[in-house]
Amino acid sequence: MIRDVAFGFVYTKKDSLVHRLDARIKLALSAYLIALSLMAGDPFGLLLSAAWIASVALLGKVGRRMGRNLIYATLFSVVIFAVDLLSGYGLVDAAIYAARFEVIVASASAFFLITSPDEFEYVMRWLHLPRDLVFSFVTAVRFVPVLMLDAIQITDSQKSRGLELEKGNPVKRLRSFIPILIPLVIDAVMRSNSLAEAMEVRAYGATDRPTSLYEPKLSRSDWIALALSTVAFSVSTIFIL
Amino acid sequence: MIEFEGVRYVYPNGVEALKGVSLRIGEGELVAMVGPNGAGKTTLIKHMNGLLKPTEGRVRVFGVDTRKASVAELSRRVGIVFQNSDRQLFSETVEEEIRFGLENFGFSKEEAGERVEEMLERFGLEPYRHASPFSLSGGEKKRLCIALVLAWDPDVLVLDEPTVGQDWANKERIRGLIESLLKEGKSVVVSSHDLEFVWSLRPRVLVVSGGRVVMDGRAEEVLSRDGIEEFRLLRPRLLELYMLLKKKPRRPFFEVGELEEWVKAEVGG
Ligand SMILES: Nc1ncnc2c1ncn2[C@@H]1O[C@H](COP(=O)(O)OP(=O)(O)OP(=O)(O)O)[C@@H](O)[C@H]1O
Ligand SMILES: [Mg+2]
Repeated sequence: MIRDVAFGFVYTKKDSLVHRLDARIKLALSAYLIALSLMAGDPFGLLLSAAWIASVALLGKVGRRMGRNLIYATLFSVVIFAVDLLSGYGLVDAAIYAARFEVIVASASAFFLITSPDEFEYVMRWLHLPRDLVFSFVTAVRFVPVLMLDAIQITDSQKSRGLELEKGNPVKRLRSFIPILIPLVIDAVMRSNSLAEAMEVRAYGATDRPTSLYEPKLSRSDWIALALSTVAFSVSTIFIL
Repeated sequence: MIEFEGVRYVYPNGVEALKGVSLRIGEGELVAMVGPNGAGKTTLIKHMNGLLKPTEGRVRVFGVDTRKASVAELSRRVGIVFQNSDRQLFSETVEEEIRFGLENFGFSKEEAGERVEEMLERFGLEPYRHASPFSLSGGEKKRLCIALVLAWDPDVLVLDEPTVGQDWANKERIRGLIESLLKEGKSVVVSSHDLEFVWSLRPRVLVVSGGRVVMDGRAEEVLSRDGIEEFRLLRPRLLELYMLLKKKPRRPFFEVGELEEWVKAEVGG
């Protein structure tokens, strides 16, 4: 389960129309999707945003991953639905809130699925955010899959030493995560230390204004995508409001 | 004892890491697995105590289908020492680190205590009994990781790349350990890229490549075949030398000492 949810937010390398767009256009596209799902307040608006998200996901060939992620989001939607009902909202309103949650998760998922950490970095720099911040953020995102692999290896080692995670009362079960968490944290700290050293060796921080290898320009298809999505967004907004 | 029958394994991300492996490892045997990076050696090892269950085919350990037993049950008899020592140590002291497995397997307090003492002595870790496992050197950590598995006395010891990052003296220690375990009647499985080390053990060699066992036989027979470079294997120097000799003894040299004696006998030095 955790796996499906996590992978719903991890960049998937695919060759698609959407993936090939400039990172700034992807950002705009995702911003439109998120804005639409936040504005949508009735069944029609929600359906419209869902349709846009679905088309982006399908164009980007990430429909299946997003779908699996959404199955789990549905669990939460059901909870939201129930809580809303209990606190006195009408059936329709409760359903709308639950659906809105689903649509927001989907639009966030769409953004992360089509935007690679490298592109994040590029966009954040383009927005002139402080370099250390950009670097920390991007590195953190990039290390999530690595840490997941570490966690698998550590769990394998400890299970081979007779550790049983699914046995005993809740307290015992929680305790059995200690042998996994401690090596994981220590390993992460060691990794970040050696990464910091490796970065310094490669002169990170030596200048305030580093140059960049990539100075991408918007291509024709980028402009077309931007124009189309802006029109689609404006029209949808008019309909929704 | 350990039997693979047509084992195929596909990781959740779709990588087919084993493409039909059949093999038997008998009691008291020493088996070395060699082969390029990503060949599937670690994947194979993880099938030996049920950490991974075959996607297709069957693995039996002491007659038990690994699908029908827990990892803990299987690990009691097949002890695996993974390559990276840092990814398993977590206790406050070396002593407790060794005790962890013994507690999991339900050893009594007294017996666990005795075994911890035995391991501390056997692996030269007595001076560090109260030290943090993280304060040990790379060689000491490796010894600790082997000790904490041997503590519960499994019938089979599996070592995944035990010599990585180890100096010569530590490699010799590991070699000595393997030899003494064999004398005790245990089986040992080693995966390694260090062919000189593997050679010195005189094992049965399995060449693993692309998810298959492509060669299987005595070290001297497998490693003298033509075309082992194809599997990114560099023939051990002593075997290479043996193969170059026109007049040579019946068996190749496994240690420099054997070569020396032969030369002395021939030249009369
Ligand atoms: N947890 C995992 N998820 C997905 N694929 C994996 C995983 N672990 C290994 N693989 C893949 O399975 C294949 C076999 O890997 P394995 O680690 O068994 O090889 P190996 O022979 O041990 O290599 P090395 O000599 O580098 O240790 C490789 O292609 C690897 O990328
Ligand atoms: Mg390996």
